[in-house]
Amino acid sequence: MRDIARRAQAPPPEPASPVDLEAPPPPARRRVLSVGDLTAAIRDQLESEFVNVWVEGELSNAKVWNNGHLYFTLKDERAALKGIMFRTQLRYLRFKPTDGLRVIARGRITIYDPKGEYQITCEHMEPQGLGELQLAYEQLKKTLQAEGLFDESRKRALPAFPRKIGIVTSLDGAAIRDMLKVLGRRYRNAHIVIRSTRVQGDGSAADIAQAIRAIQRVPGVDVLIVGRGGGSIEDLWAFNEEPVARAIATCTVPVISAVGHETDVTIADFVADRRAPTPSAAAEIVVSSRDEFCQRIDRLHDRLDAAMWDIVQTLSRRVHMLGSRPAFAGFPTRLALRDRDVTELTHRLTMQMRARLGARERQTLALRRQLDQFDLGRRLATIHTRLATADARLATAVHRGRDRAEARLRERAARLESLSPLAVLGRGYAVAWNADRTRALRAASDVNPGDRIRVTLADGELDCDVRKNR
Amino acid sequence: MSEPSIKDFETALAELDALVKKLEEGELSLEQSLALYERGVQLSRFCHARLEEAERRIEVLTERGDLKAAPSSLAGDDQDR
Repeated sequence: MRDIARRAQAPPPEPASPVDLEAPPPPARRRVLSVGDLTAAIRDQLESEFVNVWVEGELSNAKVWNNGHLYFTLKDERAALKGIMFRTQLRYLRFKPTDGLRVIARGRITIYDPKGEYQITCEHMEPQGLGELQLAYEQLKKTLQAEGLFDESRKRALPAFPRKIGIVTSLDGAAIRDMLKVLGRRYRNAHIVIRSTRVQGDGSAADIAQAIRAIQRVPGVDVLIVGRGGGSIEDLWAFNEEPVARAIATCTVPVISAVGHETDVTIADFVADRRAPTPSAAAEIVVSSRDEFCQRIDRLHDRLDAAMWDIVQTLSRRVHMLGSRPAFAGFPTRLALRDRDVTELTHRLTMQMRARLGARERQTLALRRQLDQFDLGRRLATIHTRLATADARLATAVHRGRDRAEARLRERAARLESLSPLAVLGRGYAVAWNADRTRALRAASDVNPGDRIRVTLADGELDCDVRKNR
Repeated sequence: MSEPSIKDFETALAELDALVKKLEEGELSLEQSLALYERGVQLSRFCHARLEEAERRIEVLTERGDLKAAPSSLAGDDQDR
């Protein structure tokens, strides 16, 4: 590039020898070119020379024609350069190339043969001074402001009691979790409708705009939160783009913008009916309008009670006063009747107020009890369950041990029994012993005739005399 | 609970507001006052009941325009409840 610049600044090539001008060569030696040929030759040379140049200047006569291409002139104090930027490249520009803007254009020099003009065919353009994004932001802000889209008078009030809350954001982001957390904690019976959308990257602005248009059609949605969590200016960029701004401006329900952090201010924030510094804050706004609504009812109810009480008191005093006047001595019955009415009404009112107070008190008590029990109760329940489980396991273990022991015992007893000689006796056998029952007799020769032996039967014993050895 | 004459919260609240102001002026007869008072109590109860009756719901609007329950990863994210 530097090479080109140097060449561009190089002094023009020496004109052909001055001699030529004074004395033209004989016609036979002249080489006459057609305009077309010459132009083509110049074009070939210029176009191969300035293939990729960067040039800085001020934009003028910048205009996008019906064909979608941008035509402009780039100039400085000394010269002007016509230029064109085709639709295909133009759509990548985030800012609008407008007159008076200092820009750096990159492109190649081309010749437009029919007019004998050269121009730069621009591939990319960037503003000088402000960054491209900053410039685009300022430009859109100015346009929309001029249209009155930021006017306070356009801002709609959020619903006093938001019943169905629409949220346009990414389902994958932190923003949705933050918002649901706040709503879950402080607005436990909220009805929430979420439309997931990409919130960054090419084409995300159109997606967000589409999502806004879709969710406002869901019946009953009466407030919309549009936003995303924090990020770089590029990440948040979609919320600085015209489609999103327009979708918010034309949305049929009030919109709360909730983009990034406190310090990020986007075009969407200007157009929205309410700007929340963060997604969580947007949820808080919705919750607090509901809280305010509840408080309003309560305050009105209190005033209602007080007003009625005043009326009854005043009337009651008047009746008593009238009753005590001598002029009314003739109407004791009617007054008494009136008096009874008042007393009864007073009573009813008192009862009603007491009931209401009582209900409140009970509510508070119930809540406090819930709160008390919440931790302790749950912990106790856990411990209880664990104890019960341990208990049951212990019981089974004991049972199983005892059962096993019993089984073993039964088995042993059975074995013992089978070994016992007595069991054999049961089948008709008998045991013969020596006289003092110290030895069981196994052979006839163990005893002599005349010896005394004992015989054990299954049931009982015999004392016997041996009569003969066989 | 739902009275045909009470359309929604905003109108209920507006009516309650107007009614309290009227009562506070104290220019009415006892009967009128009492009627207003009872209506007021009714309105306030109506609002409270309606506030409580809704159920927590989280839905997702799909690309095709259907509403379906939010994934449990989102819906179950409120341990603080």
